[in-house]
Amino acid sequence: MNGKAVAGIPAREPAPPRGALNLPRRSDGSAARLVTLFGSCGQNRECRAHYVFDEGVPAYREIALPADSGISSITSQTPAAAWYEREIHDQYGVEVKGHPDLRPLLFHENWPAGVHPMADQVENVPWSKGEYHFLEVQGEGVAEVAVGPVHAGIIEPGHFRFSVVGDTVLHLELRHFYTHKGAEKLLEGRLLRDGTMIAESVSGDNCFAHAVAYSQAVEAALNTSVPPRAAAIRLIGLELERLTNLIGDVGGLCTDVGFSVAAAQAARIKESLLQASWRCCGTRYWRGVATPGGLRADKDSENIRELGRDVARAAREFADLARLILGTPSIQNRFEGAGMLPSKVARDLAVVGPVARASGIDLDVRRDHPYGYYRRLQPEVPVTHYGDVMARARIRIEEAAAAAHLIQEASSALPAGSTLATIEPRGEVQGHSAVESPRGELFYWLEARDGRLARCHIKSPSFQNWPAMPFAVIGNVIADFPLINKSFNLSYSGCDR
Amino acid sequence: MIFDVIERSLRQRNRVIRVEELLDNCNGSRMPAVLAARLTPAICQGLAEVCPTKAITLGESEGKPYLQLDYGKCVGCGRCIEEGSGAVEIAHHLEGCGGQKNDLIRRWDIGRGIQITPPAPEPKASASRVYELLGRALNVRQLDAGSCNGCEAEITALTNPYYDLERFGIHFVASPKHADMLLVTGPVTRNMADAVKATYEAVPAPKLVVAVGACGCSAGVFAGSYAVCGGVDALIPVDGYIPGCPPTPAMLLTGILEVLRKHAGRRV
Repeated sequence: MNGKAVAGIPAREPAPPRGALNLPRRSDGSAARLVTLFGSCGQNRECRAHYVFDEGVPAYREIALPADSGISSITSQTPAAAWYEREIHDQYGVEVKGHPDLRPLLFHENWPAGVHPMADQVENVPWSKGEYHFLEVQGEGVAEVAVGPVHAGIIEPGHFRFSVVGDTVLHLELRHFYTHKGAEKLLEGRLLRDGTMIAESVSGDNCFAHAVAYSQAVEAALNTSVPPRAAAIRLIGLELERLTNLIGDVGGLCTDVGFSVAAAQAARIKESLLQASWRCCGTRYWRGVATPGGLRADKDSENIRELGRDVARAAREFADLARLILGTPSIQNRFEGAGMLPSKVARDLAVVGPVARASGIDLDVRRDHPYGYYRRLQPEVPVTHYGDVMARARIRIEEAAAAAHLIQEASSALPAGSTLATIEPRGEVQGHSAVESPRGELFYWLEARDGRLARCHIKSPSFQNWPAMPFAVIGNVIADFPLINKSFNLSYSGCDR
Repeated sequence: MIFDVIERSLRQRNRVIRVEELLDNCNGSRMPAVLAARLTPAICQGLAEVCPTKAITLGESEGKPYLQLDYGKCVGCGRCIEEGSGAVEIAHHLEGCGGQKNDLIRRWDIGRGIQITPPAPEPKASASRVYELLGRALNVRQLDAGSCNGCEAEITALTNPYYDLERFGIHFVASPKHADMLLVTGPVTRNMADAVKATYEAVPAPKLVVAVGACGCSAGVFAGSYAVCGGVDALIPVDGYIPGCPPTPAMLLTGILEVLRKHAGRRV
């Protein structure tokens, strides 16, 4: 086979990083992890590029550079920056010098070129018809398989372009942002307390993590400290969301290998938690609970204790189910060795969350950048280096147990007192916050002027992890793709925003 | 080990919730209910001001001021309950799921403190009627036109052992070509517009279309965004609307059955 990759766009030599950012390093000399990269416009419409790094210490390192005359791409040194640089190029029209691939990311063929909604007011954008060039793999016996954006199942839209020889995947290219809703632009100009509602609709199944991350960013900007009771209840909500998602993920993996009895049992346990949430606080997904300063309303302590008991029961049942699932030979046969994500790739692409921890990267915001009640209660952070579907399943099962444990601890000794601190908006302020969402590090950065949002950037773990997923698929049979994709369980809407 | 899982499963008690308990039930959706007798002009003014999606508005008909609540725009944020001085509380029942847009709109005469546009009092589908309507076979294709995945989570929940949609013969199918009904979530994004139209085209007649969630009904919190075309009916014809952010499984089931009830006799 003479597979030869031909880029659909003219290849360009990466420009030497002249006047580029001096990439920060950790104390051991290794490169700091890129957390996010985004643009913003100042009051006089001057454009800036913000880089956020994790240097291995609790505080994130933020660097802002003027961007009106363009920025130098860091993608060749930090591959994790590739999509961020394409995004800033799309949103603000910032020239990114030396980027190897500046095809539009957010805006599809029906957008005319040169529309930059974050830099200019855009209204009544004319519809156009363009073409998007996928990387074309040529060679004897190479076939292309196009999947999506509409998939078979109850699932979000996205496009996958496979190049296969027989059953084996040679190359997979993603085309996402079908669910791009302009959430960051919609947040601009909103009152600080109104932002939560949009944050909750960035990725619905992780809505509480988004609401807390947003609220914490406002609190950081305004130097507000959240009452301990509110912080403890937020921890319970965050861990409950994690537990619910992880149980759903394991059930989803069973569905994708045809183990429907186990999938139905996982769905039953998950639903029991959603109903327990409703009994405790009137919402199945903890929407409308968090607000900048704490919680919109206090929760009854007895209800929280009851929730704790429901969680304990669900966690026990899930642990038993998970043990049986992993002990099933046909599951082992499908999970083991499938969808290997090498640690090197995961590190280069700055992958986060359970996916990172299954590929040997010991990373958890709750422990490394503690926030809220995690300053008091710390989770066990499981890590394994196998990097296959089985590793991601095991990590999730262990994390579910740890989440249930944290809920027990927090709910059995809930602090007394108020649950809402007053927010006092003032002048021009900036703040950021990170939360370990069920999918990994979620990072909000915001700038507010006189109580209104001037800019709010959302780094979602899915945006970070999607580019790594194809690397786990290459070399596998195409029939294993749904399983591998499920083992990443990334959010399309969270990525597309 | 497979047999251990099956054995555990068999030992579980039956958890299926009876259809009568689900129809019109909106527990967990955080939808508001207005207590008409407690409305005053000042309270109504306040409600219209705090509603972030303009689901609550004020108007005038024949010289009389009214308060309007459009459940199709409501995301259940709860502001009206917080600010309503007792005139708004959490709803436990919601009629109109699966109806037309107007079926989701309520109006109250502020001066007299009474509801002036109640939903049409039509008979509801009972369990036996449901089986009759469906003939135990309805193929549904879910289409995400740009949602946040909150609606997907609840649609997936419909298939769990509590709601067990299969008991009615309702199946989710993999292709629009196999579908009787399209269940469309999300505001239609510009990037999804072509795919939404193509999917609609692929569905054979009678092409029942249900718009799901505040976003599907009215674009919800994303109304007005540069990247969003609007609710589902901005692009394709819609037969019924299910409100909520997200709608609960009970509301989804109510809505699906209602659309079916209204359109069961529709000619192809």
